[in-house]
Amino acid sequence: MKLTRRTLLGTMGAAAAASALPFKAMAASQSIRHFWWGNPTRDERTFKVIEMFQASHPDIAVQGETIGWGDYWTKMATQTAGGNMADVIQMAHTYIHEYVQRGGVVPLNDYIGNGIDLSHYDAGANDIGTMGGDLYGINIGATCPSIPYNKRVFEEAGVEFDPLAWTTDDFAAACEKITSSTGGAVTGSEDLSLYMETFEIFCRQSGADFYTADGKLTMPVEEVAAWWQMWKDLRDAGVVEGKDQTVQLDKGMADLGLIRGTTATTFRWANQTGALQGLMQDPLGVAIVPQRAGMQSGHFVLPSMFLCLSRDAGDVPAALAYIDNWVNDEETLKVLGIDRGIPPSQKGRDILAPQLNETDAMVVKYFGDTQSQILSTPNIGPKGSGEVRDSFMRTGTEVVLGNMSPQDAADQFIHDAEGILIRASR
Amino acid sequence: MKTNVIEAAVIADPDARLAHEIKERQRVRDKRAKLLKHLFLIVLSFVMIYPLLWLVASSLKPENEIFGDLGLWPSRFEWSNYTEGWNALPVSFTVFYKNSAIVTVLSVIGNLLSCSFAAYAFARLKFNGRTFFFGLMMMTMMLPYHVVLIPQYVLFLNLGWVDTYLPLVVPRFLAADGFFIFLMVQFFRQIPRELDEAAMIDGCSPFKIYWAVILPLSLPAMGTAAIFSLIWVWEDFLAPLIYLNDVNSYTVPLALRMFIDQEGQSAFGQMFAMSVLSLVPVLIFFVAFQKLIIRGIATSGMK
Amino acid sequence: MRKFFRRNTAGYVFLTPWLIGFFFLALGPILVSLYLSFTRYDMVSAPVWDGLGNYQYMFEYDRRFWKALEVTFTFVAFSVPLRLAAALGVAMLLDKGLRTIGLYRAIFYLPSLLGASIAIALLWREMFGLNGVINQVLSMVGITGKGWITDPDTSIYTIVVLAMWQFGSPMLIFLAGLRGIPRDLYEAAEIDGTSRFRQFRRITLPMLAPVIFFNLVLQTIEAFKTFTSAFIISNGTGAPADSLLFYTVYLFNEAFKFFRMGYASALAWVLLLIIAAFTALAFATSKYWVHYENERD
Repeated sequence: MKLTRRTLLGTMGAAAAASALPFKAMAASQSIRHFWWGNPTRDERTFKVIEMFQASHPDIAVQGETIGWGDYWTKMATQTAGGNMADVIQMAHTYIHEYVQRGGVVPLNDYIGNGIDLSHYDAGANDIGTMGGDLYGINIGATCPSIPYNKRVFEEAGVEFDPLAWTTDDFAAACEKITSSTGGAVTGSEDLSLYMETFEIFCRQSGADFYTADGKLTMPVEEVAAWWQMWKDLRDAGVVEGKDQTVQLDKGMADLGLIRGTTATTFRWANQTGALQGLMQDPLGVAIVPQRAGMQSGHFVLPSMFLCLSRDAGDVPAALAYIDNWVNDEETLKVLGIDRGIPPSQKGRDILAPQLNETDAMVVKYFGDTQSQILSTPNIGPKGSGEVRDSFMRTGTEVVLGNMSPQDAADQFIHDAEGILIRASR
Repeated sequence: MKTNVIEAAVIADPDARLAHEIKERQRVRDKRAKLLKHLFLIVLSFVMIYPLLWLVASSLKPENEIFGDLGLWPSRFEWSNYTEGWNALPVSFTVFYKNSAIVTVLSVIGNLLSCSFAAYAFARLKFNGRTFFFGLMMMTMMLPYHVVLIPQYVLFLNLGWVDTYLPLVVPRFLAADGFFIFLMVQFFRQIPRELDEAAMIDGCSPFKIYWAVILPLSLPAMGTAAIFSLIWVWEDFLAPLIYLNDVNSYTVPLALRMFIDQEGQSAFGQMFAMSVLSLVPVLIFFVAFQKLIIRGIATSGMK
Repeated sequence: MRKFFRRNTAGYVFLTPWLIGFFFLALGPILVSLYLSFTRYDMVSAPVWDGLGNYQYMFEYDRRFWKALEVTFTFVAFSVPLRLAAALGVAMLLDKGLRTIGLYRAIFYLPSLLGASIAIALLWREMFGLNGVINQVLSMVGITGKGWITDPDTSIYTIVVLAMWQFGSPMLIFLAGLRGIPRDLYEAAEIDGTSRFRQFRRITLPMLAPVIFFNLVLQTIEAFKTFTSAFIISNGTGAPADSLLFYTVYLFNEAFKFFRMGYASALAWVLLLIIAAFTALAFATSKYWVHYENERD
């Protein structure tokens, strides 16, 4: 028995070690790890970039690590806790503040112009990645809010509108027209009342903001109530999706009425248009988020992804070389395409212009056409703002289900949000 | 010819005729019950198999039809989901299957050996602290694993095991899964004790009794444990997610998670296709190993 | 004394792999999680001692904690008996005299094989949705359906149905247990003219008791810890209206979405105590109904 077990343990260990060994990075004097969330297309592009980088930098070995969005954050948190973060990591605007405020990623100020060249970037392109005067996340793809709409349905219903300048009233009229002309088979829009991202634009149209620059909650309770009231009216009129679909939160693309063919519009970040189009047969158009009559624009641009240097980065110069190559090398930019967002520099956009497909070209055009309507970059939320977003969806659900009036729910939400922020700041 | 004799006897003897009639009626009733049973099982089978049909159908649809179209039948068969899906990721599925096979085979062996050892100790051997350790073993199953994830990761990181298969395999050789221990304990305790007492009198060591008496009499339990162990390791995704960094060392379930991006371009058709394929080895193993459970009758019939 | 020593030796030798695993791999992380439950720990910076703060917050202020308990207890109360009954029923149907048994067994295990994948989440939402298969069937018998999975009052029962439908693993264990019952017991009963029902009560149930006990304990533990199905079907949010806020879903979000690993650890230990209480109860009552062949006298 002793023999059996020992032999087995021995062979097992050896087999496991042997199978892991060949995959270890080959001898290079420096080595870094790059971790991103991906999908088959993005992974292919990124590994190609790594391959190209290694060809031009034979002394730096790069290990690419990737997994889907949902699992990425679990693994990231675990690696962070273990002090084993990859050197270069990809961040999203919904998470970057959590890591910055806890010291998971380090400031890049000292390296800008001194290792990383960002001189060609659009003015303000790195504002959101900058917190407290320090740059933490380099914008590697910009995006902006958009309303993707089913062109066929809009045309067949005879909706005529200016996708770059329409009001909430135009939007309501369009919903009504679509719903009635299809006999209710297709409703005008997904019920966006629980989308806090869309509400942010609505809120900013009135001149208000979610948070102050130092992270205090400034969201006016009247705006919250007005937002939920607006959607309640649309719901009551029966021209947007019913409560059944609405109360499912954080829906993936596959669950959207737009993809299923039951609604004509929804809200998404503009860079996701191509992915949406890939899942449906009708052609898509993109429109700006409707504006409230007599108010200012609430439109803004933000990075869909950041490249960050992690706290655990061992070989900083190698990581900097890799990041610099990523944002500057023409061939690299060509390979990356607009998969991660629209390049935040004229140079990047010029390089990509000839290779864009129809949908991508439409998105880039939309991005350019709406530049004049950009208000300002919203302030990034404090620790706990992710939880505030959850609370927004939960309290809003009560309105959708008819358990609470918009006003009561708004009061309750603001009250809860303040509690959440106090708890998170401890 | 034999029947004729019986029939003749039946006609001759009224009592036997009655007995024969009762038997005949019984047979008809049994037949009807059997038919009903089959009917029920077939209907149930359809309910059970529906999701697989849906999965296979979805795996054959073009990407832009999967969600817009509710019908099962694809407008055209998109076999490329299979052929292209196999190589759609930076590393081919051939590699993922090989990785999964290594981890799974080692883990199943480890589970069966180490858990049956522990179970034998708990079920059959008397020693001080038995109840105490059994209680601890049960406790390890009650703590939600998400909260031990990080301390465990730190532990394996310090051992230098992260990015190898060791964190996935070694615990299985150390009876980490209380489920199998408890399962085997319940079955071992059912084996008549006279058997090992007799063996003991014959001078058998505890190991000999474990090997020659307990294991052969527990084939249904071991077969069940082998099936579960294989399926769960094959489908396990959390441990590989946490411990494997290099895409070349990913297992199949981890690879399947690379297809879907909630925020961007996904490849649902290919993901479905590869999901269907990932069931094949498990099903083959399942069909092969369930014979063990059946064969168990022959041995456990012996008293 | 020597005999005593020898008896102990064999036990500990066989337990050695488990002991090594427990003391070197399992115990440390378990104790660390207990320690973390008394701290505020965001996983990026070091844990900060907080005494009983987490537990106090949980019981005094945390409405969602109570909601999560309610959801989880409802699920356990419905899913465990239903799932076990389904598994035992089908196992008994399959146990005797069917040549196609292997095929059926494989088919009935299929849903469990599919586990809790993204595909199942999509399918489930589709089936129990407003225009899903369930409502189509219901409308055939004149019942107007609704969005079962999107109505907070019914959504949890769709998860119960999912758990029932995936009865494969307890079924297999029951089958293995049934196979262990000596055939001659039934043959003797048949000759005595004992009815099927009496056979079930007098032979099957007592002989199967250890396996029923196992399934009951394990299914209860698993039901309390149910995570993946509720997580993927609600996109990780517990929606609609927190009706799918299973305890572990809440715990996971607290840990990995809101960076409160300390609080999540406290939640985990409270769940452990709850499960341990139920398990202890099951073990305590087991001596009245579970008898082992070798320990009969």
